[in-house]
Amino acid sequence: MNDKDLHVTGTLIWYYYICHREVWLMARHIVPEQDNPNVDVGRFIHEQAYQREKKEISLGNIKLDIIKRGQDGLVIAEVKKTSRFEKSSRMQLAYYLMEVEKLGLNAKGELRFPEERRVETVELTDALRRELEAAVKDILRIAYLEQPPEPVKIKFCKNCAYAEFCWS
Amino acid sequence: MKKVIYIFSDGELKRQDNTLKFHCEETNRFLPVEDISDIFVFGEVSFNKKLLELLSQKEILLHYFNYHGYYMGTFYPREHLNSGYMILKQAEFYQDKLKRLELAKAIITGALKNIRQVLKYYDNRGKELKSFLERIEEYEAQIDSCREITELMAVEGNARECYYQAFDIIIDNKDFVFEQRSRRPPKNHLNSLLSFGNSIIYTMVLSEIYKTHLDPRIGFLHSTNFRSFTLNLDIAEIFKPILVDRAIFTLLGKKMITKKDFEKNMEGIVLKDGAKRLFAEEIDGKLKTTIKHRELGREVSYRRLIRMELYKLEKHLMGEREYKPFVARW
Repeated sequence: MNDKDLHVTGTLIWYYYICHREVWLMARHIVPEQDNPNVDVGRFIHEQAYQREKKEISLGNIKLDIIKRGQDGLVIAEVKKTSRFEKSSRMQLAYYLMEVEKLGLNAKGELRFPEERRVETVELTDALRRELEAAVKDILRIAYLEQPPEPVKIKFCKNCAYAEFCWS
Repeated sequence: MKKVIYIFSDGELKRQDNTLKFHCEETNRFLPVEDISDIFVFGEVSFNKKLLELLSQKEILLHYFNYHGYYMGTFYPREHLNSGYMILKQAEFYQDKLKRLELAKAIITGALKNIRQVLKYYDNRGKELKSFLERIEEYEAQIDSCREITELMAVEGNARECYYQAFDIIIDNKDFVFEQRSRRPPKNHLNSLLSFGNSIIYTMVLSEIYKTHLDPRIGFLHSTNFRSFTLNLDIAEIFKPILVDRAIFTLLGKKMITKKDFEKNMEGIVLKDGAKRLFAEEIDGKLKTTIKHRELGREVSYRRLIRMELYKLEKHLMGEREYKPFVARW
């Protein structure tokens, strides 16, 4: 792979905080099983939730679920099926905020869990900026490995759509 | 897991709003489109582009068979999983003679091991099959020294011939003797059953390949040049003994299919509709049977094992882990 081939996307940031093997596979478009029920539910929520608000805006390498004008400035929202992946969700959204900031826009972040009827706010801090920059570097390192990182059994394997791939 | 729909009656398959309807003389049947992975069409069924559009959108494969039960083709919706990386790896392993041979050997080894598992089962049940088991084992030992795919195919051919001779002892029914393998047209009842069952498995494996990043046109044992799909034929070798052959032994053993279920015509010996249906159901039942998978720690169906076999192949191509074929434990 050549450096220009790979862009760090929000999805890769998300996977980075769950499983490095997923980062490698995703970076090569080896997507997980599409008939996994969780993947299906996720897709359904993505399609059905917040239909009235603007959806799926592409900005450079990132794809925003919702971008809207709030009472005091722009709000970027990311829709998730569950709040179980706390760290991943926050970092993904923070990454979007950082990318948007690079374009000269100031925005606030909202994590939305329609199934849980809950919204969480995320603000970009210096500590998060530093952490994200390190994560981006490490994601590139992982993606360019000749072979994927070995599978490691973690609690997330149980419902993971890659499980049958990893453990076959 | 999503369902497989088998259509044996004549009629019309159509899109009705956002679902499928099969309309035939006796009745209308609605088929919930979200819950279907593929459709096998044996009857005389008409359909239109609107239907194909819906099938594409829902990524459903439609396989069609002619009047005599021969596989004719598949409506294969456009690829939905694309990984340039995987295709290149697959082609690389095909073109490198040694890498290709190594994979072909693994596949044949798996096929022969599963053949032995089937024979062992009947040997334990009082059929005298020791000599066959030994001979298959000898063929298995020859695999390693093969230097060409053609040599490998010859070993496999000999092993299979020996295996089919054992069928007469297992089935033990004058109406279903093996004689010799004949295809297109099958010259006797047993051959007709084998051809029909094998074509269902080839098709089922093709459906599973569609759900992976592999390209069905690049096989390793069967050469790619003169056919459209070959990878499904490769992987089917491993599963044929445990799925098709076992289904045949069950159906004949329980006299669920007898000589009366066949007719002779220009195309050889052909299975009648009712028997085709029974046979397809028997194989479908086997595909739905689950076993506990040790590494994964959950129950998986045989159908899912076919998918996992493809995942193992992907991992081999990625250089992650050497491919080891699935071998049944019983």
